[in-house]
Amino acid sequence: TRRNCFRDAAGRLLDCQWKLGVAVGADSCKSLRSPCVTMAVKVAEASGRIVCRTFEMTVPQFQNFYSQFKEMASLLETL
Amino acid sequence: MAGELEGSKSLSGLLSGLAQEAFHGHQGITEELLRSQLYPEVSLEEFRPFLAKMRGILKSIASADMDFNQLEAFLTAQTKKQGGITSDQAAVISKFWKSHKTKIRESLMNQSRWDSGLRGLSWRIDGKSQSRHSAQIHTPVAIMELEIGKSGQNQDQFRLWIKRTALCLKDKQASNLKGKYSLVFNLHNSGAPGWHSR
Repeated sequence: TRRNCFRDAAGRLLDCQWKLGVAVGADSCKSLRSPCVTMAVKVAEASGRIVCRTFEMTVPQFQNFYSQFKEMASLLETL
Repeated sequence: MAGELEGSKSLSGLLSGLAQEAFHGHQGITEELLRSQLYPEVSLEEFRPFLAKMRGILKSIASADMDFNQLEAFLTAQTKKQGGITSDQAAVISKFWKSHKTKIRESLMNQSRWDSGLRGLSWRIDGKSQSRHSAQIHTPVAIMELEIGKSGQNQDQFRLWIKRTALCLKDKQASNLKGKYSLVFNLHNSGAPGWHSR
């Protein structure tokens, strides 16, 4: 996969919202029952522009995301 | 020849081909390819309705995400139907679904996800730092790099930083979510109907 927009400067995390949904059915599968976490991350870029990025995660992805967060938090606590 | 189609020898291969085309997005698995590889003695005119029947059965099973009781009942009904399937064929289909169910469901779930997904995540912790303009940057921060996009398309990458105090708050929010999420996930796994509020 090619990387498209690579931003060198990191933006400041302003807010992080989440939404939990379950896709009950779809045209391809009437009995889907697929939980999905959607995150909306609001970031203040170095330029001052505020952007909101959204992305979806499956169950295992969210569990990994959460454990990464915990690891970051505990490491940050030691500094 | 009808005898060829009633046999179950090539059916397993046929179901694999059908699954690749219908669920896993594999292009180029035509009916002629399946016929020539698996049922070379059968004419295309005879093969076509047979293929349609098997495709229909497989799609019904996948769409309903049948458990093994439902599957058995469904296949038994198919064997009793006029122009249905033989019990040998039912056994092959049953075995196929049992071994491929998880993978097929995963593909179907991916197909229904239309928004960008989280494709990559990495992070680092920066310790104390200073700059020419500000002596105030001495708070450790976490920097996350997220890669989001859809499969098969260009990925978008962005970075964000979080101060220690902010991260604690976010972690609390995330753990609330994890609790709720486990609850939903358990409902999903156990097949229990209904929702429970916390």
